[in-house]
Amino acid sequence: MPLNNTNIVSAAQTKFGALTGVTLREIFSEAVDKATIHAGIPKKDIQAAFIGSFIPEMLVHQGHTAPLLLDFAGLKGIPATRHEDACASGATALRAAIMAIESGLYDTVLVAGVEKMTSVSTSKVTEALAAAADDQFESSIGLTFPGVFAIAAVAHMQKYGTTEEDMALVAVKAHKNAATNPLAQFQKEITLEKAMTPRYVAWPLKLFDCSPISDGAAALVLTSNEKAKKYTDLPVKITGTGQASASMNLCDRSDLTSFSASVDASRQAYKMAGLKPKDMDFAVVHDCFTIAEIIASEDIGFFKPGEGAKAVRDGITALDGDKPINPMGGLKAVGHPVGATGVKQAVVIYRELIGDAGPNQVANHDTALMHNFGGTGATCVVNIMRRADL
Amino acid sequence: MSEKPTIEAYLKNIEEGHFKAYKCVDCGMIIAPPSGSCYGCGSSNMKWAEVSGKGKLVSFTVIHVAPDQFAEEAPYYVAIVELAEGTRVSARLLGFDPLKPEQVRLGINLKLDYEKGKSGATYLAFKPA
Ligand SMILES: [Zn+2]
Repeated sequence: MPLNNTNIVSAAQTKFGALTGVTLREIFSEAVDKATIHAGIPKKDIQAAFIGSFIPEMLVHQGHTAPLLLDFAGLKGIPATRHEDACASGATALRAAIMAIESGLYDTVLVAGVEKMTSVSTSKVTEALAAAADDQFESSIGLTFPGVFAIAAVAHMQKYGTTEEDMALVAVKAHKNAATNPLAQFQKEITLEKAMTPRYVAWPLKLFDCSPISDGAAALVLTSNEKAKKYTDLPVKITGTGQASASMNLCDRSDLTSFSASVDASRQAYKMAGLKPKDMDFAVVHDCFTIAEIIASEDIGFFKPGEGAKAVRDGITALDGDKPINPMGGLKAVGHPVGATGVKQAVVIYRELIGDAGPNQVANHDTALMHNFGGTGATCVVNIMRRADL
Repeated sequence: MSEKPTIEAYLKNIEEGHFKAYKCVDCGMIIAPPSGSCYGCGSSNMKWAEVSGKGKLVSFTVIHVAPDQFAEEAPYYVAIVELAEGTRVSARLLGFDPLKPEQVRLGINLKLDYEKGKSGATYLAFKPA
């Protein structure tokens, strides 16, 4: 049965990038204000908050962040819980909020994600991010995060003939879409030649195959059918949701060319929504690395296994293609403040579905899928969203 | 060989150049790296198992940008290796030029080895058979 009581009535993000001169709580509070008072939703209407944040302990030396952030943002007193599932922290916070509304426990809740990553050195960030991989059996031999996706890329290249150029085309598309997105970290197109610059991070992945280190926050207000009309004439409904886990270690997975948690979470979400991949107008997927977008486009059923690269080459996933993917620029070019990403993906879908995406508006915008995964793909959340007027 | 295996002992075995896997007492499945429950039958009853040291290359990468503790060793290979006993491990791959990864073929036969890192730690490694 499709979910039928969860409505997104407001969605906003801060600028993503190196946000100098502002701290974690200030970035958080900006996103919350944009999603509440600036959208005509009084903060006193918010009954509970679900926060996604990955590693503020390591990046800004701050734990117990949920009450701290809410207090600063003027929401002191209400239940506040932080969700940590690496890069999927934002989406698991969103899922908890969905369950809270569907259960009838609350009518109106806040979902927000935040990360402040640029206040420490790059090597410190790299070390902190490695906490999302298995410390005892992977990180201890020097396997890095890009390395994990590089291993998946090599397997995909071997099995399906995917090339470094195919991956570079994903980066070119991401930068093209982000060029018209003022909230993106990189508002600049790049050529294929530039994307192919052989500065290897983890062969065959190069600098332009990797999402950047970013600061940023995003926020949503979710509410029940009864309250939704009070805030907007055009809510977006979340009609299907799925979540799955997989082995943390790459070596414990039988297939390196697909992420089983993505496949499992997608199946759950499609089944719940009563919809199929062909019913989706577009998708926002977790492109932490270019190969991750290619594999995700297959795992969510948009393309057959091994045909994701061809879809990029043929422009099918471009903004004006038949199945646009990451129409505002993805993690790759908009930035990846880890805990904010899953929430920001829902913000992008909300804006596209209600027709508020400006130059990045997709042509068909009734129904879409968001795919957010954590770390090396050990957690995946997939949500299916539709405009409420359908 | 009769004591209950632990992760600490597993890592120490690698450090001492004597890799051993876990073996499920109930169904015989060979498991490495350690898992608290068997992928075959769900049992948590494990013992140690010697392995043949033979394996095949499943996939790999060459790490160029490494965390601080490994920076001096970069570029280096990290591979996924399937042991003849069926389980897969992550390991360093030796015997290939890290600047010529296109010459490495997936599926090639490998044998167990170890690498003493500049960090002082010993890594599980494989080299061409
Ligand atoms: Zn067993």
